[in-house]
Amino acid sequence: MAVRVEDAVPVEATARSAAPPPGRRRSLRSVVEIVLLAVLLVVMLFPVVWMLETSLKEGRDVYAVPAKLLGFDVTFDHYKDVFVQRGGTGASDLAVSFQNSVLVAGLSTIIATVLGVPAAWAYSRFTLKAKRDQLFFILSTRFMPPVVVVIPIFLMYRDLSLIDTKLGLILIYSAFNLPFTIWMMKGFVDEVPSEYEDAAMLDGYSRFEAFHRFTLPLLVPGIAATAVFALIFSWNEFVFAVFLTSSEEARTAPPAIAGLIGGTTIDWGLVAASAMVFAVPVLLFAFLVRKHLVAGVTLGAVRR
Amino acid sequence: MGEISIEGLQKRFPDGTLAVEHLDLAIGEGELFVMLGPSGCGKTTTLRCIAGLERHTAGHIRIGGDLVDDLRPSERDIAMVFQFYALYPHMTARENIAFPLRAEGLRDADVGDRVAEAARMLRLEGLLDRRPGRLSGGEQQRVALARAMVRHPRAFLMDEPLTNLDAELRADMRAELKHLQQRLGTTMVYVTHDQVEAMALGHRIAIMREGRLEQLGTPLEVYDRPATLFCARFIGSPPMNLVDVELTNGALTGPGGLAIEPPAGLVRGVRLVAGLRPEALDVTDPGAEGTVAGRVVSEEMLGDEVIYVIETGGTDLHVRMPPTTHYGSEAPVGIRHAGGPPPVYDPGTEQVVA
Amino acid sequence: MAAPDSTLQPAAPLSAPPAARRFGWLGDRGLAALFISPALGLLLFLSVFPLLWALYLSFTDYSVTRDVPAQWIWFENYVDLLTSDQVHQRAVTTAVYVIGAVGLQTVLGFTIAYLISRRARGRGLMTTLFLTPMMLSPVVVGLFWKFMLDAQFGVVNSFLNTLGLGSVEWLTNQRLALLSVIVVDTWQWTPFIMLIALAGLTAVPRYLYEAAEIDRASEWFRFRRITLPLVWPLLLIAVLFRAIEAFRLFDLVYILTNGGPGVATETLSFHVYKTAFLGFDTGRASAYGILMVIVVIVMAQLYLRYLNRLQGR
Repeated sequence: MAVRVEDAVPVEATARSAAPPPGRRRSLRSVVEIVLLAVLLVVMLFPVVWMLETSLKEGRDVYAVPAKLLGFDVTFDHYKDVFVQRGGTGASDLAVSFQNSVLVAGLSTIIATVLGVPAAWAYSRFTLKAKRDQLFFILSTRFMPPVVVVIPIFLMYRDLSLIDTKLGLILIYSAFNLPFTIWMMKGFVDEVPSEYEDAAMLDGYSRFEAFHRFTLPLLVPGIAATAVFALIFSWNEFVFAVFLTSSEEARTAPPAIAGLIGGTTIDWGLVAASAMVFAVPVLLFAFLVRKHLVAGVTLGAVRR
Repeated sequence: MGEISIEGLQKRFPDGTLAVEHLDLAIGEGELFVMLGPSGCGKTTTLRCIAGLERHTAGHIRIGGDLVDDLRPSERDIAMVFQFYALYPHMTARENIAFPLRAEGLRDADVGDRVAEAARMLRLEGLLDRRPGRLSGGEQQRVALARAMVRHPRAFLMDEPLTNLDAELRADMRAELKHLQQRLGTTMVYVTHDQVEAMALGHRIAIMREGRLEQLGTPLEVYDRPATLFCARFIGSPPMNLVDVELTNGALTGPGGLAIEPPAGLVRGVRLVAGLRPEALDVTDPGAEGTVAGRVVSEEMLGDEVIYVIETGGTDLHVRMPPTTHYGSEAPVGIRHAGGPPPVYDPGTEQVVA
Repeated sequence: MAAPDSTLQPAAPLSAPPAARRFGWLGDRGLAALFISPALGLLLFLSVFPLLWALYLSFTDYSVTRDVPAQWIWFENYVDLLTSDQVHQRAVTTAVYVIGAVGLQTVLGFTIAYLISRRARGRGLMTTLFLTPMMLSPVVVGLFWKFMLDAQFGVVNSFLNTLGLGSVEWLTNQRLALLSVIVVDTWQWTPFIMLIALAGLTAVPRYLYEAAEIDRASEWFRFRRITLPLVWPLLLIAVLFRAIEAFRLFDLVYILTNGGPGVATETLSFHVYKTAFLGFDTGRASAYGILMVIVVIVMAQLYLRYLNRLQGR
């Protein structure tokens, strides 16, 4: 189902890099390329670095004109404000929203995985009626504009009293991550030879047990990678969160952070710090699954 | 024009591995020269140095008398056929063959003529509009050959071109390649790990091992008198029997008391190993004249010959017999050496001593 | 002849533990059904059913605030939308945005991928670094850039001022706002194209280039005749994917400009949101949404069909 890079770029043997052979005279061209690459790298990373600096700056430095690149005093006050209620003790609202994010992302990932892995395995092993169409259909649901889906969901949730609840978000995120989980996991299952299960069944195991005892343990790395991506998607999600929750106790981090820029004065230091705290886990997780990034970001459609 | 000379070639990779260590070769004009050896012996690295795809770290390479050490591959007027054919998957066979000509900017009319000529020689008419994905392995190989030929280079470099083909196809393609090279008369440097291929194709064979030349000679020379134990083991199927022998009273005795005609110049008192070709041994009824006692361990009836493994004096010997012979498994037999003086080796230096 | 070893016994037959037959009675079809139904069920409930409900709503004049039951008004919503100048304007804005952003991302992404593929060392590190913008939430990206492009405190204007070029109203100028959104989206999603282009570039086997070099092909010739044709299919997938995603975009516009100034950066998604949640015209918004869904379905079909053709070849 998924496209392997080798199929899209048809080759017979193992790939070797397209880099030019080493050792030739270092040409002008190489220098130009390196400089260009460096410039682009700076452009790509600068905003992140800048926000990091902003989160560490004193209030007046944040608004300094001209902007201060270096030579400012470092303060962790903003980070403190992210977690602790201003002018008092106890968790800040933002901290609560982060907790909610963790809970919602975590549980929805678990549900999506528990439902998605068996389905992916079934799609991989069995020939089913209109299998390809079913899989395409599943993936299509992921492409729906969230703003559109939110309207009826809002009404549905209102009737089911799921508005402004964490459970409501968990459910929608699970549904939202399911197509990705199935597509991505199916690719992993395709790579585990079905001979393992055949051998087990010849030894007297049922198909279910063959899957459970022999294939599933081999799928653990794939499940981990898929789960991480689902976590990232849920963690970063904004539209459903902002429209289906409103109170502090239910809302997740993205709407809470976005809420910081409403109002007359914006505390950019706090915004920067919250954004950094929010972004770091994702970057860490992304680094962990970097081997599967191509598959992950194309929703499992392209595998390397 | 197409002769290639390699002087003191050395290739050391950046990580320190010495792939080729001081190699000297002189390949004649129009010769089909085979470099044979196991993987890692340096044959492919040498070929790539000749092509210019690798930069050798010491020594010189000349093609047609010109020093090519500092020339890029495109400047050496050579063509290469890769192990995986290296056909451009998104182009038709015709476009693949035409590629080098288009790269040089040749006129369309000339391109058409040359492509047709190459296609004719390799019987590719009718397949020219297919993409490589729709061609069989043998057909892809011929397209790769045509692409190499179409430029009329002064030398062909072949990197194990037949390795990826089915066994029976390989035999056919081998004959075709040999015939093609004879017709074109172009120098060809051929790399392979298959000793049958090497024997069948080469005018001369260079056996390499761990970056060094073990032996250089015609197929017959390499077969009859392998220069080292390594070459003795490498050439011939079934492999040459390498047996411990003793020189006593001017006679050479092998396992089980097997009598072997000694070559001249052997020194007494040293340990020796003799190389006995399977066809130089004879299996007959037990007790026949001149034989020693042996026992059949296995018998392979191949239709055109029978290969026996006979155990005598604690050693297993491969013997090649006519197809009409038949001795059952475990049968007692007599075995004798019927050939002339075999090559004898010093097991310590592994070199031939006589 | 060696005597058979009398101490050798045939091994006891291996047998699976009793629990191994669990669910054996299900059979393959039953098992497939058991494994697939919960997933499909959840999807039907929370993905398909809402869309069907939206379809139903689109034929009514339902409003979420009024307590009056909905009236069936057939295609009135659709006609209104398709003939509305406002909708046309948003459609143009969205088209400009999608074409501009995706185009820019593709060129930049491929360039970066090409530059990285030309380096022999440090690829892993560089790739990871370049991927950073993509992994951030659009909310975070929107906030970062809102601050950076701020007319007063933004670091971008600060740089321009030090260079003597004067401040620019990135987010508050009618004509520049959409450009700013395009630039920010490009910043975030160029790594996506880069990642996939790099995968395609590194998959081209080295010997194809070596063969071309021996055949005296110039660098440009090699790029045009080998690199581009072989990477193009994968690139197309990435571009189609990005186009669909860009079309759906909401988060970035909401955070960065809130559709403004005026309606200069209102994409179709944003307009749907306004119609539904600020205008409370649920029925109309549903019709609007359904129209978008139709476009997305067509685009997704193209994407999936192309994906399939790639696999099938």
